[in-house]
Amino acid sequence: MSNNKYKILLVEDESNIRNLISTILEAAGYHTIAVGTCSLALSLFASHVPDLVILDLGLPDRDGMYFLQAVRKEHNTPIIVLSARSHEKDKVDALDAGANDYVTKPFGSEELLARVRTALRNSRMNSDTLPSHDGKFILRELVIHYDARRVFIGDTEIHLTQTEYNILAYLSMHAGKMMTYSAIIKAIWGQSDEGSIKKLQVNMANIRKKFGAKPGEENYIINELGVGYRLNIDQKN
Amino acid sequence: MKKTLKNIGITSVILFVAFLLSLLFQNVFDVKEHVSTVFVFAVFLISLRTEGYLYGIVSAFIGVLLINYVFAFPYFAFNFTLPVNLISAIIMIFLSILTCTLTAKIKKHEQEKAEIEKERMRANLLRAVSHDLRTPLTTIYGSASTLLESPSSLDEGQTQGILHGIKEDSEWLLRMVENLLSVTRIDSGRVKISKTPTVIEELIDSVILKFHKRYPNQKVELTIPEDILIIPMDAMLISQVLTNLLENAVQHTEHMTQLSLSIYRSGQQAVFQVEDNGGGINPELLPNIFTGYSGLSDEHSDSHKHNAGIGLSVCATIIKAHGGEIFANNNQKGGASFWFTLSVEDTHDEQ
Repeated sequence: MSNNKYKILLVEDESNIRNLISTILEAAGYHTIAVGTCSLALSLFASHVPDLVILDLGLPDRDGMYFLQAVRKEHNTPIIVLSARSHEKDKVDALDAGANDYVTKPFGSEELLARVRTALRNSRMNSDTLPSHDGKFILRELVIHYDARRVFIGDTEIHLTQTEYNILAYLSMHAGKMMTYSAIIKAIWGQSDEGSIKKLQVNMANIRKKFGAKPGEENYIINELGVGYRLNIDQKN
Repeated sequence: MKKTLKNIGITSVILFVAFLLSLLFQNVFDVKEHVSTVFVFAVFLISLRTEGYLYGIVSAFIGVLLINYVFAFPYFAFNFTLPVNLISAIIMIFLSILTCTLTAKIKKHEQEKAEIEKERMRANLLRAVSHDLRTPLTTIYGSASTLLESPSSLDEGQTQGILHGIKEDSEWLLRMVENLLSVTRIDSGRVKISKTPTVIEELIDSVILKFHKRYPNQKVELTIPEDILIIPMDAMLISQVLTNLLENAVQHTEHMTQLSLSIYRSGQQAVFQVEDNGGGINPELLPNIFTGYSGLSDEHSDSHKHNAGIGLSVCATIIKAHGGEIFANNNQKGGASFWFTLSVEDTHDEQ
């Protein structure tokens, strides 16, 4: 039985938070390895090869970013960063350095588990390749036909411009993962200039409008102010 | 750079006026004795109005030279051998140094006074906040100890109640800390806040999503412009303001059934308005509603009321730092309305 459990490496120096997260994860059926330092985390990562890492950035011996970069050199293991509410820039830096997601402290158990599930599902789908059989992406009502470059919600076709389609397709290929502005811009336009973010925001506003999204209601695309966008694969209720 | 120009301007204007006056005295009224008095006065004024010693001393020298050259015998020639000229020169320079020293002292004193005032306000806020933090901590600490020490003597319902109390009070603590963090974000470094272009729809989207997580049953009626509106702001701080205003309505308004958030454009301003149809604001509190925590130090009432004061003063601080304005009012048909303005175009566009 226990062999089937997902293995999660938890790196957090605050022992109370470590205990809490371990308890939450164990109760949800994950096998948890908890450590408090960066060096220990690196050696246990090598010996245990976990399915997922939950990483606090403020560690006593070394910055968590060091661990992130070291692991990312050779592994695609999903990494969720724990961050205290501070500037958006820290989140963007962590995401651009290869983190899959981040959770802001303090968080509820529900939120943490949802992120863990999403990250694990993503890595199972091997998120960097097409997630489809027969060139289709399906998320609830949303269907994307990659070959025909057509998008449907239910039976209704949504007519997107080239750029809008490219953005949506890119998000769908990384469904569930928070994509930073710079990552999207690089993928869609190649290089970025002064007006890139604005261009992206305007395109995004058009996509939302075509999807009939209303502010404050859960939709297919989640926006994180100052950070980026994510295709919402968490089934609400 | 600007200051230097201003100082030079003041110096030249005063010297020029003194020169004209002296000419007037000498040529029209034929008074020769008071020319140096006029320049002494000019030097005094310059020392008072400019910063540092430089301008006063330079103008003292200019004055000495002018008097000597133009107004003192022998006319239109320098002559420092006459003791009268020498003495007036020394007096003027001495006076200039003295005035500069005095003004510098006064300015320093004023600065210290302002610093002390700021320190006092900070201490007051700190005292109010610590007092406010203690209340929820008491619940949390007490509840956790109770659960640890006597788990068997409590029935299921009691345990649930205690746990709910812990959760509620920690949420309250969290909101408080978020507000304090927002203020430090403005205070630290005293740099102007960094604005980034923010899509209003995205801003409102995340504010409302967060709000619904905390108050799943409270509907918010939204009015947003059809066209995409992008405003430069610190999105995190403005979210905090909107969240504070919305939560304030939920927590402090009795008999509220409707809560609305509308954003509209009025010229170069975007107006954000939060309205409810509850009991409104006590008119006595209205004038000082955004300065909140000033009078609360001696008032030991329900701590949860204080949060509003701190929350609203945080709102005011944030909006002020953005160069906008914030208002509160009671509606004619009942209920309160809070609104603030932000400039649509950034006046000093970043790079």
